[in-house]
Amino acid sequence: MPAYHSAFNELTDLRSVGSMALLPIKTRVRGPAPIADPNAEDIIDEALNLFRANVLFRNFEIKGDADRVLIYLILFITECLGKLARNPSLREAEKILGTLALGNFAIPGDATFPLNALYTAPANKMDADLLRQYVSQLRQEMAVRLPNRIYENDKPGKWWMCFQKRKFMNKTLQTVGAGAGAGGARSRSEEKMEKS
Amino acid sequence: MSRLAPVVIDNGTGFTKMGFAGNNDPSFIQPTVIATRDGGSAGSGAPSVPSKPSFLNSSASSNLASKRGIEDLDFYIGDEAVANSKTYALNYPIRHGQIDNWDHMERYWEQSIFKYLRCEPEDHSFLLTEPPLNPPENRENTAEIMFESFNVQGLYIAVQAVLALAASWTSSKVSEQTLTGTVIDSGDGVTHVIPVAEGYVIGSSIKSVPIAGRDLTSFVQNLLRERGENMIPAEDSLTVAQRIKEQYSYVCPDIVKEFKKYDQEGDKYFKKYEGVHSVTGKPYSVDVGFERFLAPEIFFNPEIASSDYLTPLPEVVDTVVQTSPIDVRRGLYKNIVLSGGSTMFENFGKRLQRDIKRIADTRIKRSEVLSGGKMQATPMEVNVITHKKQRYAVWFGGSLLASTGEFHSYCHTKAEYDEVGPSIARHNRVFGTVG
Repeated sequence: MPAYHSAFNELTDLRSVGSMALLPIKTRVRGPAPIADPNAEDIIDEALNLFRANVLFRNFEIKGDADRVLIYLILFITECLGKLARNPSLREAEKILGTLALGNFAIPGDATFPLNALYTAPANKMDADLLRQYVSQLRQEMAVRLPNRIYENDKPGKWWMCFQKRKFMNKTLQTVGAGAGAGGARSRSEEKMEKS
Repeated sequence: MSRLAPVVIDNGTGFTKMGFAGNNDPSFIQPTVIATRDGGSAGSGAPSVPSKPSFLNSSASSNLASKRGIEDLDFYIGDEAVANSKTYALNYPIRHGQIDNWDHMERYWEQSIFKYLRCEPEDHSFLLTEPPLNPPENRENTAEIMFESFNVQGLYIAVQAVLALAASWTSSKVSEQTLTGTVIDSGDGVTHVIPVAEGYVIGSSIKSVPIAGRDLTSFVQNLLRERGENMIPAEDSLTVAQRIKEQYSYVCPDIVKEFKKYDQEGDKYFKKYEGVHSVTGKPYSVDVGFERFLAPEIFFNPEIASSDYLTPLPEVVDTVVQTSPIDVRRGLYKNIVLSGGSTMFENFGKRLQRDIKRIADTRIKRSEVLSGGKMQATPMEVNVITHKKQRYAVWFGGSLLASTGEFHSYCHTKAEYDEVGPSIARHNRVFGTVG
C-alpha cells in the first residue's frame, strides 16, 4: 500500500493552473479558489489528515492535479512545523505562521521552486499571477488551521512535532527561502536544518 | 525396546531452541553465541579436523593453546556468554542461518548437550534443523561432528520451513494436514518466504526480505529519538525500543484511520512505558505512541524505514507463489504459515491475508477481463495461518515430527554412518532422494 492520494483527483470539472488543481477551500482569505461547502472536508483538511502518514514516504506517484496541491501543502506543513520547533505559544505561533505564509515564496515555474520536475509552469503571465494568488491563499489558510489542529496546552503537540524532521519525497520547500531571502527567521531555520 | 526421547535442537542465527521431542516448548532458548577467551582466533584451540572449513583457523593462538592445554575448555555459551562478554570475546557461529564457524559450533553443541540438556548423546537420537538451500557439504560436516565427536545414536536433519508447516497443524484453522504451503519465517536478522510442495522446498522460488526484528527495533529507536524522548538513558535505548516493540506493537488496517483514532481517543491508545535506569536504578517513563502501529508497518510499506528496499511483504509472497509450478499455486495460497518471533504482532496474519487476497483477486479479475468474459476463474482461497506455537514454530514442528513412531526409521544411525561415511547425510529417507 503506497502513500495516500488526494480524493479530489476524482473531480474532473476543475480548472488547473500550472498543473495544480484549483480546488474549493473553506476560507475567509480572499483569493481565486472557489468557496467550499463549510461542512465538507476540503483539501486543507485532507492534507492535515494525510500529513502524518504521507510524510513517512519517500516515493509518491502523482495521479492527478489535486495530488500536486496535496504535495505542496504537505511540504508546507513540514516547513511550518520547523518554525514551531521552539515551542511558541499559540498566539505567537499564529503570528509566526502568518508571516511565513505571506512571505516570499516560489511558485511552479520559478527557478527556485524545488519541485519543477513534477509541476508544469503556468502558460502565461496571467496564469502565473492567478497561481501565485491561489498558492498564497492555500498557505494562509493552512497557517490559520494548523496551529488549532496541533496545539495542546499552549504548546505544539509532540505527537505532531515528531514528524518535523521527516522529508516527504525527500524534498523541502526550504530552498524556496534561500532564493527569495525572507529575512533572519528563515536563515535561522536553515542553520538548524544543517545541524540536524 | 524403549527409547529415550529424541533431542531437538534448532540453531537459529539469533537464538538456539533446544529440548526434547514430545514437549510443547523448548527447554532452553538462548542466544546462539559463544564466548571464548582469546578473541576471534580461537578456531584452532579444539582438536579440529583439517577437512572442516574453519574459516578462522589462524595459527596465532595455537601456540598459546598448546602451552596451556586446556584453553579449549574455557568458554561459555548463550546467556552465560553474554554475561561474560566483558572478559571474553563473543562469537556468533551462525550467520544468515548457516553455520559459519564449525569449531565454535562444535563447542556450542558440546555445552548444549552436556551442560544444558544434560543427556548422553549415545542414548538419544538427534533432530537438527537446517535453512533451505543449505549446501549438502554443510550437512556432511554436521553429521561428522554429531557422529564422530558426540557419537549420537541417530541423526535427522530437517529443513526449517517444513517443520514450520508441520507446527501449523495445531491451529484450528487447518483442516487437513498437508506439507504444501508457503512459510513466512521472520526472525531477528532476515525474513524468508519459502514455498513448500508436499514436503519439497521449491528452492528456485525462495525469496528473502531484508526486514526483520532487528530493523523494527531500530526503526522504533529512531522514532523515539526523533520525538525527543530524552528520558531514555542512551545506553538503554536499544532495550527500551525492543521492549516497546514486543509489548505494545500491533498491525493496523490503515495508517491514516489509525492516526485519527489516536487523535480522538488518545487515552485509549497512547501508552506509557516504565523503565528503570540500568546504572543509577532511577525509574523513568516513556510515552509510547505511533510506533505501536508504525513498527510492524514496515513489513507492508518498507519505504518508510529504508531507502533501498521497497517491495512490501504481501507482494513478495505473491511473487513467490507466482514463480512456483502452476499446479501447486492454489495450495500455496491456501496455506500460508507464519513462523518466528517477528510474525507475532497482533493482526499481522489478518493484514497479510487481506493484502495478498487483494493482489490475487486483482490478477484474476484482469485475466477475466482479458479473456473477454469467456473464462470464469474460481476465486482464489487465501489463508494465512496463525497459531499459538508461532514463535518457536520450527522447534515445535521438530518436536512433533521426532515424537512420531516412524521417526527412528527416518534417522541415520551410527552403524550406517560407520558403513557409508559422512555422505549419508545427503540422503533423506522421508523422501527417498539424494539432495
